[in-house]
Amino acid sequence: MTATPEKPTFEQARDELTDVVRRLEAGGTTLEESLALWERGETLATICQEWLDSARTRLDAARGPATAED
Amino acid sequence: MALDSSPENPAAVRTIARAVEGWIAKLGPVWVEGQVAQLTRRPGARLVFLTLRDTEADMSVTVTCLPHVVEACVPPLAEGQRVVIHAKPEFYAGRGTLSFRAAEIRPVGLGELLAALEQRKNLLAAEGLFDPARKKPLPFLPRVVGLVCGRGSDAERDVVENARRRWPGVVFETREVAVQGVKAVSEVTAAVRELDRLPHVDVIVVTRGGGSVEDLLPFSDEGLVRAVAACLTPVVSAIGHEKDSPILDLVADVRASTPTDAARKVVPDMVEEMRGVQDLRSRATRAIRGRLDRDSAWLDAARHRPVLAEPMVLVTGRESDVRLMLERSRRALDSRLARAADDVAHVRARVRALSPAATLDRGYAVVQDDSGAVVRVAADVGDGALVRVRVSEGEFRARREP
Repeated sequence: MTATPEKPTFEQARDELTDVVRRLEAGGTTLEESLALWERGETLATICQEWLDSARTRLDAARGPATAED
Repeated sequence: MALDSSPENPAAVRTIARAVEGWIAKLGPVWVEGQVAQLTRRPGARLVFLTLRDTEADMSVTVTCLPHVVEACVPPLAEGQRVVIHAKPEFYAGRGTLSFRAAEIRPVGLGELLAALEQRKNLLAAEGLFDPARKKPLPFLPRVVGLVCGRGSDAERDVVENARRRWPGVVFETREVAVQGVKAVSEVTAAVRELDRLPHVDVIVVTRGGGSVEDLLPFSDEGLVRAVAACLTPVVSAIGHEKDSPILDLVADVRASTPTDAARKVVPDMVEEMRGVQDLRSRATRAIRGRLDRDSAWLDAARHRPVLAEPMVLVTGRESDVRLMLERSRRALDSRLARAADDVAHVRARVRALSPAATLDRGYAVVQDDSGAVVRVAADVGDGALVRVRVSEGEFRARREP
């Protein structure tokens, strides 16, 4: 899984998601805006999850089955 | 000087013998240094026989002398002893043998030995043989370890066992040679040269156990030192105990204090190395796993924030806001209406209180002149003037009679 122009890196997705949550919690946005923000938040969360899952699989693959879990 | 002879007229043995005797006599008395290899003293014998060996080369000569010459030696002459003798070559024509007749034998004392060593050390140092710049680093993991040591010696066992414990995969190319006495120098030097030539030998260890100064002398031998200096393969010197330091220590690339120390220097402790690698590896894994756990925890937390977890909050939030607003506005309205109602009632009461109706009910009447002003002073109304009279129930007009 690599960062592509459309897909942000983990850090980018994380930072934007932090910002979305902050704005949603701060309120003061129109109903329409907050819905859009919420949808963006969901997308970003999925992207973060995908990065983390891929990192775990790469880690397990690299460690190989033989090594003892530590 | 050469004799002329030919198959047709050969020289007689006696002629040859006498000629050789003459030539040899020409050498005359000389001071010769060497090592006593063999000493035979038969009681009552006229002469004492001993073999004198060269200190480096594999050559020796027979020496004869009168018993008192040997007895004069302090400490008493013994095999292996280095000596300096004053002797004259003798050719025994009878059997065509050569021997040296010793007139004086001086043992080479420890003092002279050490002095000679020191002098040799300085000489070699001046040549730059001991320069640190010449020292070659030892390979981290030698394919084969060349080992020059005494036959079945403790030194050999120490080096091999310790090396194998540190790295079971170690391979030795061992040359068991004389590490003491007259043959030591030549055998050790030959072994070192041979191992140096072997391509797969990456390091050479020269080792022997402790011994006297004489015992260790071969390892200060100039020939051996130069051979080691010429080696392309790194050489580790592990001679004797900690305190011993033959010249080999100075020319070798690395000096080990003991055979065990030599093993430690040429072979890494693989068990330790493996543990180190394993440790680093698990730490790396723990670090990356910790990082992933932290990030996942963060993501979970972010996801559980109400604004994301229950988006309806956004809507219900607004709904409740709206409802709240509605209630407030309604309440505000009610209160205003109520207040307005009160005001009206209040005003009405006042109006009623102020209005003359009650007074009129009690029979009074309100008189206004034609301008509408209330008449308070009768004189204000002129005769024949028209006035308006209000009574409790209605009103009528009236004219002032004089």
